[in-house]
Amino acid sequence: MASESPAKRKCMGGDCDNDAGTLQCPTCLKLGMKESYFCSQDCFKRNWSTHKAVHKTQSNFLSNLIPPKVISEPDPVTGNYNPFPTFPFTGPLRPVYPLSPWREVPKSIPYPDYWKDGIPASEQTFKGRTKIEILDKKQQEGMRKVCRLAREVLDIVAAAAVPGVTTDYLDEIVHKACVERKSYPSPLNYGQFPKSVCTSPNEVICHGIPDQRVLVDGDILNIDVTLYHEGFHGDLNETYYIGDKAKADPDSVRVVEAARESLNEAIKLVKPGALFRDYGDVIEKYAKAQKCSVIKAYCGHGINSLFHCKPNIPHYAKNKTVGVAKEGMCFTIEPMIALGTHRDKTWPDDWTSVTQDGKRTAQFEHTLLVTEDGVEILTARFPDSPGGPIPMPVAAVETNGANGNGVH
Amino acid sequence: MDFEDDEAPPLLVDVEGQGDAEGGADRTRVPITIVTGYLGAGKTTLLNYILNEQHGKKIAVILNAADIEKTLTVNTGGEQVQEWLEVGNGCICCSVKDQGVNAIESLMEKKGAFDYILLETTGLADPGNLAPLFWVDEGLGSSIYLDGIVTLIDAKNVLKNLDEPAQEALPSEGHEHEHDGHAGPLLTTAHLQISHADVIVINKSDLVSEEELEAVQARVQAINGLAKIHITQHGQVPQLEGFLLDLHAYDNVGTLDVGSRGHSHLDPSISTVTILVPVLAPEQLPHLDAWLRSVLWDSKLPAPSNGAEDEDKDNYSLEIHRVKAKLPLSTGDIKIVQGVRDVFDILDAPQNPSAEPTLNGKIVLIGRFLLNKPFKESFISAVGQT
Repeated sequence: MASESPAKRKCMGGDCDNDAGTLQCPTCLKLGMKESYFCSQDCFKRNWSTHKAVHKTQSNFLSNLIPPKVISEPDPVTGNYNPFPTFPFTGPLRPVYPLSPWREVPKSIPYPDYWKDGIPASEQTFKGRTKIEILDKKQQEGMRKVCRLAREVLDIVAAAAVPGVTTDYLDEIVHKACVERKSYPSPLNYGQFPKSVCTSPNEVICHGIPDQRVLVDGDILNIDVTLYHEGFHGDLNETYYIGDKAKADPDSVRVVEAARESLNEAIKLVKPGALFRDYGDVIEKYAKAQKCSVIKAYCGHGINSLFHCKPNIPHYAKNKTVGVAKEGMCFTIEPMIALGTHRDKTWPDDWTSVTQDGKRTAQFEHTLLVTEDGVEILTARFPDSPGGPIPMPVAAVETNGANGNGVH
Repeated sequence: MDFEDDEAPPLLVDVEGQGDAEGGADRTRVPITIVTGYLGAGKTTLLNYILNEQHGKKIAVILNAADIEKTLTVNTGGEQVQEWLEVGNGCICCSVKDQGVNAIESLMEKKGAFDYILLETTGLADPGNLAPLFWVDEGLGSSIYLDGIVTLIDAKNVLKNLDEPAQEALPSEGHEHEHDGHAGPLLTTAHLQISHADVIVINKSDLVSEEELEAVQARVQAINGLAKIHITQHGQVPQLEGFLLDLHAYDNVGTLDVGSRGHSHLDPSISTVTILVPVLAPEQLPHLDAWLRSVLWDSKLPAPSNGAEDEDKDNYSLEIHRVKAKLPLSTGDIKIVQGVRDVFDILDAPQNPSAEPTLNGKIVLIGRFLLNKPFKESFISAVGQT
């Protein structure tokens, strides 16, 4: 997009701290890797012997399907390791394995159909893929209940998301809080997702897998919670500032607040007769005004007794989505907003979706019920819910006056 | 295995000024054509012909879209290579793009772009279900775009196929709105493949007499008056461009000259209807959108406001397979409408300075239950007077 400023790229050279210009490795380009920048031919030459290994992993088509045999040496103290050492990560974040053992859900709690093999068969029926369900009063009550429980769980885990804890610890909290509420954590084994919640820090757009990475002051973290309770799913997420450093970082605040506010703007449209295609126009307009982009690969979805069903709700402008909201429909809106490119890339774990330029992204999500004359936010915040909007840090105005926000 | 094991590193390339690798908007996009037709219509022969012909293009052929995760044949200057299509796991749920589209995109990212992609469907495929998947939203910045649908028909068997339900009448998918109560005349897969086509190739013309061929042609045109018709033998086509390739059936609408005269009753099930409409004011565009939503989303022709509202609701229900329109505005701009099944878009017409000013707008609908309906009255009443 024309509005995207050229990224400050770092030279790929392992021993080099220079910024890279526009010089790229031709072999990488041919292989479709577009982020392979070097500061100079000399530096490229110096690093050639290590760099060319990258081509090997890419030129084998199956390298994304079969996990590489090489794994990095485990950290001698913690035993932790990066399972994909040769993967060209787009930003500083790395997976920190091993994942903790599978968490069980007591048999007394009703399971969704995919609990065992990971296949949500009920979603894949013709009806699940094409029909938009209208919920009766009783079903609406079921949605109301599970969404309230989901909000409780999100609030509990959000309060625990502080510098020094691992995302796996947050997963444990979510899992226990779900079980206490006689609910199955919907992500668990959905399409073989290994954990009970999605935790997506910094450049992770969505579907981050909780692992042994320790949250640090300055992170932003999206926590995406879904519960399955008495036959219904309730789905919501928020992005939180981890520590005071994050709240003082103008870019982090800009992207997080843009995501929060773009969702609020979209929700204002929801009522019977509103067109599904229009939410994306509002979201993209708001994001652009904040000099952010909208992630296009993932969209909102219908939700009821199925975790994901019709309708699809794209978050980008000018989409051709068919359909209008009607009283009794439930669906989510969950815009993902990025500081840089809207393009995404998936880690070899087949879940973690990151921005291709490694810049930060944020997301917010509510489950919505279309009412007679408007919308009920089933996953609305409580007065004491953690998180919530914060103002732009003052320093930003002073150091960043050039971006038009200045009050000189 | 490869050349890069030799020691010298290649020269870095300067990508400055080479388009915007991240932007996407100005990327070149690769056209994809969907090729349909009954078993025996000659699809495979035609595709083999294309793969073996010297055309200097890198054409990828995807066989059997129902099995898209299988293989793909890429032809580069006469050399054929089989590739595996990688279907990402990721989230089946909330990913907007069709998996097939994703698979093709990721293959191109790794292997470099093709010049063209041909997607062969199964003999029983309803192209109306496939087209919306590949008619990717412009906002998504996909590296492929739907160029059009080509349907091959077998001159010898097509009339029989149209008249008797060879398989259980029609594929159930996508036809959930079955017009409660009245089933309507027979609809076969052959109808669907013809009604959605942008190009129709009447193949095996050498196997029928001239009269038979004329009858086939007339019937096909009655169903789909918009498609370009080509008559061939043995699946051999004189040239590919504008024939199978570079159709631009989803970004341009052409002149919208309908092949047969007005609405023809030659086929009992499907027909093509042309509506001539006046020049519109820009303020009327939202009404145009609402009219299209009713016709395409709700399968309902809005009743003209001059009374007669309640006499027979059935009179206003219909089923549209394809719509194209060219609508001049009072500002001198021209809008075009493209639609397949319930998906539609209103776009700016490509600039064509040589075109003479048009006094009338034209809407062409192809579909079911279109005969004897007050289209023009409905449209005028919906958009209001200029």
